[in-house]
Amino acid sequence: MSQLLELRDLKKHFPIYGGVLKRKVASVKAVDGVSLSVTKGECFGLVGESGCGKTTLGKTVLRLLKPDAGNIFFDVPRDIVSEIDALGKKDPKSRRLRRLREQYDVATYGGRDLQFLRRKMQIVYQDPTTSLDPRMLVKDIVAEPLMAQGVAKGEEAKKMVMEILGRVGMTDRALYRFPHEFSGGQRQRIAIARALVSRPEFVILDEPTSAVDVSVRAQLLNLFADLQKEFGLTYMFISHDLGIVECISHRVAIMYVGKLVEYSSTEEIFRRPLHPYSQALIASFPVPDPNQRKERAPLKGEVPSPVNPPVGCRFHPRCPMAMDICKRKEPELANAGNEHYVACFAVNQESDK
Amino acid sequence: MSQRNIAEVKDLEVRFYTYSGVVEALDGVNLAIKEGEILGLVGETGCGKSVTSLSVMMLVPPPGKIEGGKILFDKQGKKEDILTMDDNSLRGLRGKNIAMIFQEPRAYLNPVYTVEDQIAEVILVHRRMELLKKAVDTLEKKHKGKTFECGNYRRMLKNPKSLITRLIAKFGSNRTFNNEAKKEVVQVLKSVEIPDPERVAQMYPHELSGGMAQRTLIAMALSCNPTLLIADEPTTNLDVTVQAQILNLIRGLKQSFKSSILYITHDLGVVAQLCDRVAVMYAGNIIETADVFELFNSPLHPYARALLESIPRPGKPFTSIPGFVPSLVNPPKGCRFNDRCSYAMEVCRRVKPVFLKAKEEHYVACFLYGGSE
Amino acid sequence: MSLKNRWQEFKVGLTPRIKEWRFMLKRMRGSSLAMAGLIIILGYVAMAILAPVIAPPQSSDPFAIPLDKEIRVLQNEQPTPPTFRHIFGTTQYQFDLFYGCIWGSITAFRIGVFVVAISLLVGLLVGTASAYYGGILDETLMRFTDIIIAFPGLILAMALVLAWQQPTLEISISLSLVMISVMVSFVLIFVHPDRRLLAMNQLVLLLGLASSFFFPISISIPLNNLDKVLVAITIVGWPGYARVIRGEVLRIKNEDYVEASRASGSSDIRTIMHHILPNSIYPLLIVATLDIGSIVLSAAALSFIGIGAPEYYADWGQLISRSRFLISDPTLMVRNIHTFLIPGLFISTFVVGWNLLGDALRDVLDPMLRRR
Repeated sequence: MSQLLELRDLKKHFPIYGGVLKRKVASVKAVDGVSLSVTKGECFGLVGESGCGKTTLGKTVLRLLKPDAGNIFFDVPRDIVSEIDALGKKDPKSRRLRRLREQYDVATYGGRDLQFLRRKMQIVYQDPTTSLDPRMLVKDIVAEPLMAQGVAKGEEAKKMVMEILGRVGMTDRALYRFPHEFSGGQRQRIAIARALVSRPEFVILDEPTSAVDVSVRAQLLNLFADLQKEFGLTYMFISHDLGIVECISHRVAIMYVGKLVEYSSTEEIFRRPLHPYSQALIASFPVPDPNQRKERAPLKGEVPSPVNPPVGCRFHPRCPMAMDICKRKEPELANAGNEHYVACFAVNQESDK
Repeated sequence: MSQRNIAEVKDLEVRFYTYSGVVEALDGVNLAIKEGEILGLVGETGCGKSVTSLSVMMLVPPPGKIEGGKILFDKQGKKEDILTMDDNSLRGLRGKNIAMIFQEPRAYLNPVYTVEDQIAEVILVHRRMELLKKAVDTLEKKHKGKTFECGNYRRMLKNPKSLITRLIAKFGSNRTFNNEAKKEVVQVLKSVEIPDPERVAQMYPHELSGGMAQRTLIAMALSCNPTLLIADEPTTNLDVTVQAQILNLIRGLKQSFKSSILYITHDLGVVAQLCDRVAVMYAGNIIETADVFELFNSPLHPYARALLESIPRPGKPFTSIPGFVPSLVNPPKGCRFNDRCSYAMEVCRRVKPVFLKAKEEHYVACFLYGGSE
Repeated sequence: MSLKNRWQEFKVGLTPRIKEWRFMLKRMRGSSLAMAGLIIILGYVAMAILAPVIAPPQSSDPFAIPLDKEIRVLQNEQPTPPTFRHIFGTTQYQFDLFYGCIWGSITAFRIGVFVVAISLLVGLLVGTASAYYGGILDETLMRFTDIIIAFPGLILAMALVLAWQQPTLEISISLSLVMISVMVSFVLIFVHPDRRLLAMNQLVLLLGLASSFFFPISISIPLNNLDKVLVAITIVGWPGYARVIRGEVLRIKNEDYVEASRASGSSDIRTIMHHILPNSIYPLLIVATLDIGSIVLSAAALSFIGIGAPEYYADWGQLISRSRFLISDPTLMVRNIHTFLIPGLFISTFVVGWNLLGDALRDVLDPMLRRR
């Protein structure tokens, strides 16, 4: 089965310049080797705490940032992906590999290819107040993707804008207003309309309900579910709110300091979290039921800085199951049964080799 | 946990006079905080939770004005109305009897002073005499009380207001005194479980992580053993794992410091995990107050019920409350929830419901439970 | 889309913006100082427009202040006090003060608007390119502006006027084409060039080189001293605007909606024109309004010294310059106070008017920006 999106060992580092000569002294390893695949039509949840790199990952997939290493395959047939994989291992410098990558690997796209890609991949930001230009009318904001990509102009664009606004639950009267005349929930709907107006296939939702009231959250989440069915969208839902992710995603991945530590179907992850970090994360989440009170904090210490992550497994300083090997080698994602991938030596029972 | 109320807010009214009109922020708020309990104040953005907490400390910023009601605070057995206190008494109250911690800790720490300086400032304002006595004691033990410094401290203890004393305090050597203050700071930092407190005390706020900064703020707030600690969404900006640590800390501090805590949040999960009693707020009114188990098991007010229904649960579709929070510039007449309430009656649109007792220790402001006569 | 539809669209789209402007004006009406500023400037605008009616020109050059030849015969040196024929009186050498002041307002506007407009444009280009693209381009352009800021403006103006003796400005179009294309290609090194832009640039370069070898074209614009002064002030004035707009663009560049615009597929130019500039231009407008006043003041100072407007020219500074001879004798000064007081009042109210307007603009725009 062909996947809509495949990431192979994606890396994005931000350099830090210092010293008198402004050389690169260190780099923030925001995303440090992430591989995953998203099936068409599913909602893929990406969970993690601050600094884990989930937002950076989303923006890199969309090519708002240029990746430093790795491949991004969007809607590429399986055989070509395998060929690129094989060539990468066997003969990384071959010309055929380079040509294939130029054609199929989003990570290498530039200029017109990127422009074309924008029609298919879109993003909805976290804060609707800052993601809409305060000086533009709603009509122009939502029509912008159409105008920028050259899909439609003038009267035709206006029709498409009105149509999509209707689908997200806004009336035509919103067209000639400024964003600040609307509430947070309505602004987020405008942002959603903007993302969907050019009928993309893949939408990255970067914490779309964090900046919104609780009562509006449910309305927006229902809207996301409806739109997914109606337009056949595929979502990558980035969030730190485990409660919502549990309800809306089909599969969930958990990130820690730039790497994936576990991913599987939602049920598996929440019912049987295997990685110690996942277990701690899920246990830390405050359950809205006073009958289930936990008296002990599951995790000690602070999240390490992505500039200088711990050597070996990044979680080992805080891990209750840390072994000797964890301090030296980085664990790889392995299938622990039932399509449940974990990157942990203790779980995968690898001993000192 | 005794039944004594250490603070009572009665019919508090606060209005904001803005360019777009008069915002009726608080419209008769009734709260009671018992000794040694954690009271949760829940509500959505804009319902007035922060304004309530600021009013208790008389810190409502202009164009806001407190225009009615009483805030009774139990100060050493005597109940005083905070709204009628003069500036001096208020200053004595703030930081010592009532302390506050906020949502973004690094915004409330001065970036040009070290942690030590800032916590010491608070301690010195309120516990100066105590520290002076400690300094005298230390000096007596070391040098048998004959040094010049010891004499200075004694004089500062005896008549602190005279000009000579103040000059000496300013220009004389205060080394022992400052050391005592520093020791106290480290003690306080230890009590909030900050690792390596001596090192952290020398740090500047921008070097602290979110969790550490919040602990520092808590340390500052608790340094003078306040009777009431007001926490305005202290964990909203923190990661889930750090939030769990801080919640644990607060639970522990309730035992060791014996303060009551007014915990403001919009997260029902935190409320369920931390609080003893809960007050639910909507559009400037407290609409229900109950014990936490009671509230989660049998909520009475339609808004509270809808709020608990809207908590996302896997397998269940998302439910929300139809409509929008009303603008407080022109609030609806009668019960402010009437335009979104599925049980709204005729009387709800005309008269505002009174906050009354529906069950034992369970108060609600809704005509469904009486009051419409 | 038909023309009528387009017009409808435009009108409907204007309504919310009109609402915003009305809100802004309401705020302005609240402050009496702001209204005073507005009224002063509007008064000067009216004066400038009605100048040919109020003070009809008496020679081919309307800016030449008419001399009263009759009185000149009697007493050339002494200025005359206000009479019926000369409402404000005359200056030394019998220049009519009334005419000079009225037409001087047109000169003042010309000075202010010309300098500010061109400085604004250049500063905008440099500042925006510098801030948006960053990196080496930013460093280079900013060092360049630093060098220019180091020049003292008035002294440069004086030096320029004295060194530039020709009464004309010769611009060689061929060479300018070459220079412009070279500078553009310098910028394009750091930017992701669109092929069309590169091609156009090459074309311009070739055209310039060809024409400079085979048929050099140049135009000469007649300039008087005042214009040279303005050129000098413009040269040293634009870095201020470049700095201001660079700050604003740096701030806005990181906003979410700019990134969202890129995610929607906007090209760099589109993002800059539609998002960054409309949001960053307001502080610049405030600085520009305040600057108009101070530039007129500087120009007046230069005219007073004698570098600037020629003797017969209708310029306030020039009029005051006619009163220089009074400095030595206090009684004479008092008797002929009208010769410098009246033009002086004109200058000061003009400058105060612009300052009040700028302040009012700042007060009004601040809450409007904050309201968003």
